[in-house]
Amino acid sequence: MSFPSSKKITRILGAELDKLVTLPSIWITLTGTFILNLLLAASFTSVGLQGTAGTQSILSIGLASMRYLQAGFIILGILATCSEYNGGQIRTTLTTIPWRGIQLSTKHFALAIIIIPAAFIIAASGVLYTFTMMKDTAVVIEIDTMIKTLLGATGYLTCTTLLSAAIGALFRRTTPALVVLLGYYFVVSPLTRDFPTIRKYFPDTAGSYMYMPPSPNEINVLTPMQGTGISMLWTLIFITVAIVLFRKRDA
Amino acid sequence: MRAFNAELSKLFSLPGIWLAFLIGAFAPAVIAALDSIAQKEEIIAGLSTRLSEVGYIGLGLGVQGVIILGVLAVSSEYLAESSESGGGQQITTSLTVVSSRIHFLLAKAGAVTVISILLSVVAIMTTVSATHLVLGEYTPAFEWPKLLGAVCYWAFTALLAFGITVLTKHGMIPLAVLIINTSFVSFSFLLSKVTKLALYLPDRAGFEMFMFLSNRFLTPFKGGLVMFAWVVVLFIAAAIVFHRRDVAS
Repeated sequence: MSFPSSKKITRILGAELDKLVTLPSIWITLTGTFILNLLLAASFTSVGLQGTAGTQSILSIGLASMRYLQAGFIILGILATCSEYNGGQIRTTLTTIPWRGIQLSTKHFALAIIIIPAAFIIAASGVLYTFTMMKDTAVVIEIDTMIKTLLGATGYLTCTTLLSAAIGALFRRTTPALVVLLGYYFVVSPLTRDFPTIRKYFPDTAGSYMYMPPSPNEINVLTPMQGTGISMLWTLIFITVAIVLFRKRDA
Repeated sequence: MRAFNAELSKLFSLPGIWLAFLIGAFAPAVIAALDSIAQKEEIIAGLSTRLSEVGYIGLGLGVQGVIILGVLAVSSEYLAESSESGGGQQITTSLTVVSSRIHFLLAKAGAVTVISILLSVVAIMTTVSATHLVLGEYTPAFEWPKLLGAVCYWAFTALLAFGITVLTKHGMIPLAVLIINTSFVSFSFLLSKVTKLALYLPDRAGFEMFMFLSNRFLTPFKGGLVMFAWVVVLFIAAAIVFHRRDVAS
């Protein structure tokens, strides 16, 4: 089959973006995540305010909700790919775009376009809330550290979303994909905290070094750059596997 | 009784149910085994502060299986078929056959309860044997009242998942919220730091039935009672909503 021209790829990207933007559950999930994040930031802040003043940094409290926040982005990723299989949309999609590899990679790209600003806004809102509530008590931080950390958090959330989208494309059903991913991120991964040597190479732990503020009493085993690299590698591996299987399997 | 049998048969033929059984039967054992490996040395040296939690932590954190069961039991009814095969929902057929909505709901809840109790018994067996395998002679004795508490905790959790899904009609939100809440970073644990009232939330109260938390708040029996009250309230709410709601909407 002939390879589509660059003009066609732009149109495919447009179509994929269109499909994602018109999916109501995407907007519901994004709004829900935003509100939930503010609530969580509020409760973390009130816990922080009860603690000894001046010892905690605003960033670590503002980003403490990241652990919960990623659930919303996992759902987003799964929704983006699994919605195609809900009903027969995938057959229509493949009739109009008969290049499967390109279709799925464009979908991931379109998802990233939506997720990056959303992740930044949501992560920043949590930090901003903490900042306004705690600026008298907590340690003041420079603006460039803040921006660097926020960019790291955005990158981490984007990687998580794309990885979830790839897993969703592998399972093609919402429930098993959701259970496997949530089970990994919230149950399996915290359980392996007793084995730090292998754990630091897991996608979520490696990714967490992208935004984790370096703490003096704990040895940060990976630098932010290494964390980014490993986390992107995991995402790319899963996307590749998803694309290869997508090309082989019966839709 | 026939409605109950039908619900059992529907549950066993669900496509996602194998996942619930697999996770329900083995996740607690794996969690318990990992936890036991991590603190084996401390236990042998007699220094462990969490001796009474060994094994039970698996039963406390490994309830994802019954959560999936409770959610799937309801969300599968509302799942729309693809437009190529008519776009129907199973719930319309179910309610045509069993026209009393309360009977339908009770039969379904009964089926979920029975399966989750069976699943918890299997889980207790795998967890106890996994703990014995890792710790050998140092395994603390498992007491019957606490195991009974664990069974109740599993059944109540399944019913909570069931009730919430009846209200939302969609499986994703209850699944996400409940699975996160069973994990190490649960919402209720966070809230319990903010306000003491959060200790009355169903999962915190249910934990008291079989886990010795360092700062004990309720007796095991009271904990079970609080969780049961949550289940009853949620079930009544679900029954009222389900009774009044148009199925097609």
